[in-house]
Amino acid sequence: MNLKHVGILLGKEFLHGPKNYIFVMAIVMPIVISLLFSLLLGTFFTGVPKLGIADEGSSQLVTMFKQQASISTKEYGTATELKQAVESGAVDMGIVLPDGFDSSVKQGKKIEITAYTWGESLAKNRIILGVTIANLVRELTGQEAPVDIETIILGDEISIPWSDRLLPLIVLMAIFLGGLMLPATSLIKEKEKKTFEALVLTPASVGDILAAKGLLGLILSLFMGVVILILNQAFGAQPVLLVMVLALGAIMAVELGLLLGVLLKDVTTLFAVWKTAGILLFGPAIVYMFPQIPLWIARIFPTYYLLQPIVEISQKGGAWPAIAVDVFILIGINIALIAVVMLALRRTKQFAV
Amino acid sequence: MNRRIIGALIGKDLSLFFRNRFFALMTFLGLIFYLVFYFLMPSSVDETLKVGLYAPVMPPGFEQIWEEGLEIEVVETEEALKEAVTEGQYIAGVVFPADMMEKFMSGQKPKINLYFAADTPAEIKDAITTVIRELAYLQTGQALAIEVSEEILGPDMLGMQIPPRDRLRPLLAVLLIIFETLGLANLITEEVERGTIQALLVTPMSINHLFVAKGVTGVSLAFGQGIVFMAIAGGMSRQPLIILTALLLGGVLATGAGFLIASLGKDFMTVLAWGILVFIILAIPSVGIILPGAVTGWVKAIPSYYLIDTVYQAASFGAGWGEIWQNLLILLGFDIALVWIGIMALGRKAR
Repeated sequence: MNLKHVGILLGKEFLHGPKNYIFVMAIVMPIVISLLFSLLLGTFFTGVPKLGIADEGSSQLVTMFKQQASISTKEYGTATELKQAVESGAVDMGIVLPDGFDSSVKQGKKIEITAYTWGESLAKNRIILGVTIANLVRELTGQEAPVDIETIILGDEISIPWSDRLLPLIVLMAIFLGGLMLPATSLIKEKEKKTFEALVLTPASVGDILAAKGLLGLILSLFMGVVILILNQAFGAQPVLLVMVLALGAIMAVELGLLLGVLLKDVTTLFAVWKTAGILLFGPAIVYMFPQIPLWIARIFPTYYLLQPIVEISQKGGAWPAIAVDVFILIGINIALIAVVMLALRRTKQFAV
Repeated sequence: MNRRIIGALIGKDLSLFFRNRFFALMTFLGLIFYLVFYFLMPSSVDETLKVGLYAPVMPPGFEQIWEEGLEIEVVETEEALKEAVTEGQYIAGVVFPADMMEKFMSGQKPKINLYFAADTPAEIKDAITTVIRELAYLQTGQALAIEVSEEILGPDMLGMQIPPRDRLRPLLAVLLIIFETLGLANLITEEVERGTIQALLVTPMSINHLFVAKGVTGVSLAFGQGIVFMAIAGGMSRQPLIILTALLLGGVLATGAGFLIASLGKDFMTVLAWGILVFIILAIPSVGIILPGAVTGWVKAIPSYYLIDTVYQAASFGAGWGEIWQNLLILLGFDIALVWIGIMALGRKAR
C-alpha cells in the first residue's frame, strides 16, 4: 500500500464525495432524524434551567452553582452582558453578585440582589432557580437544613425515557449510513462505470483504492457519530473512550461497506441488501428500544458490541472496566472482517480486474 | 412583456416540475409530512412541577408558602401516592412524617421521604429535593440573608407560554419555502442540460420572459405551500397580512437562491449537493428560535433571518408593522440582490 497514492485518491474522494447522494444523506439524515425525535418527544424544549452569573468579586457561590446537577450555570464578565444573555433567552435567570458578597452574607448583613428573568422562562424553571439560589446562600452562611430527605426510587429499572431508548438507533444510523453505504456505493459505481479497471491500471493498487474509499467512509462515519452524540448531549464523562469506541464502530461499518462494494455488482442490489440485511445491523437498537426483550438476543448481533459500550459510557456513566470485554469482542469482529474483505478482494483481483 | 408567452412558459414549467417524480413527491409529501409533524408535536406547555403530598399532619401555614410553578396535590394514603408517582401522575411524591411538627419543636430533624419514578432524570430529582428543602427552611421560619427582587426582561409569558408546535409553526412554513429552491433549481438545470433553454431562446421569447416565467413559477410554488401550511396549521390567526407579505418575500428569496443554485449545478446530483448546502445555511437562523440565545449577532448576515424572525414575531407575539417593517425592508433588499445575482449568473450560463 502506497500512502501517497492513498492520499491522492482520498483527496479525489473528498472532492467528488459531496456530489454523491449518499454522502449528503449520510450527513443530513441522522441529524434530521435526531432533531425530529427530540422535537416529537418534547425533549428539545425541556433542558435544565439555565442560570447566568456576573460575579463582581470572587464569590464561592459561583463554584457551588456549577456543582449543581439540577441547573446549568454560565458566567458572564459584566452585568450588561448578563442582561443581554437573559434578554436573548440564553439563560433563564441572571444574578449579579456584588464585590464582597460572601463576607457580607456571612456577617448577617441583608443584601439586595436583582434576579433578571427571561420573560419566556417556564414557571418551573424560575422556581428551581429561585430555590437553588436560596439554598446555596443558606449553605454559604452555614444554615443547617431542618430536615433529612431520603430519595426512594419506585418501579423497576426498565423505565427508560424514549429519548434514551432511541439514541442507539440514531447512533447506529449515523455510523453505518456514512461508513457502510459511502464506500460501498463509491466502489460499485466505479465498477459500473468501468473506472475501477482504469484506476487499477494507474500506479495505484486495488489496496490503495479501497483504503482511500474506506478512509472517507471512516472519517464521515466517525464525524457523524460524534455530532449525533453532541446533539443528544450524550457525550458522557469519558469522551476519549467514547471516540475510540465510535472509531472501532466506524471501522466495522467501513469493512462491511468495502465487502459489499467488492462483492455486489450494482447499486440496486446494494439497496436491496441494505433493506433486507439491515436487521442484522439495527437488531440491537430495536432490543434497546423495548427493554422487555431479553438482552441476550441483542448479543447475537455484531453491532451489539459497538452499541453496548456507547450506551454504557454515554447513558450509564460507565468507564473502561465496564466495556472492556465488549470492546475486545468488537476488535475481534473487526479483525475477522478484515480477513473476509481480503478474501473477497482476492476474488475481485481474479474476476473483476 | 408578452403575458401569453409568460403564461405558456409557466404552464410548461409546472408540468415539467411535476413530471420529476422526486420533486413532485417531495412537494406533496413534504407538505403533508410537515403538517403531520406539526400536529404530532406537543400542543401545550406544562409549566409546573406537579408533586403529590401525603401528610398525616399538615404543617400549619404550609399552603401559604407554595409558589407559582409548584403544584402540590394532597393524597389520602402513602400507597396511593406511590401508585400515582409510578404512573407518572406526579413528578415526585413527598411524604411528611406524622411527628414532623413535634420534631421541629424539639429541634430535631424530621425525615422526609421523596418518591420518584425509575425514569425520572437525575436533575429533576435534585431540583425537587432542593425545592422541598427550601420549603422546610421557610416552614421553620429561617430567614434568608439576601432579598431577591425579580425583573422580567421581555414580555412575561408566565401562564401563556407558546406550545412547542406553535413555536415551530412559522419555522416549518419557512423551511417549506426554502426547500423549494431545490425544485426550481432542478427545473432550470434540466432545461440547460437538455438544451431546451437554447431552443426556447430562438423563439419570439426573450430571456426576460424566461426569467419572469421561472420567477413566477418559483414564487408560486414556494409561497403557495407556505400559505397552505400556515392556513391548515392555524398560523394565520394573528397578523395575517404581515405573514402573507413575509411569505411572499420568502418565496422571492427562494426563487433567487434557486436561480443561483441552477447557475452552479450541472445535473440533479450537483443541484442536490449545492441545494442542501444553501438549505442548511438558510435554515441556520431557525436555531435561534429552537434554542434561544444559541446564535449571536452574525446570524443577521443570513437573509432568511429576516423572514424567520418576521413570521415568528408576527405569528407568535402578534408583532405589528411598526415592529417588523425594518425586517421586511432588509428582506426585500436581500431579495432584489439575490434575484439580480441569480439572473446574471444564470443568464451567462443560458447564453
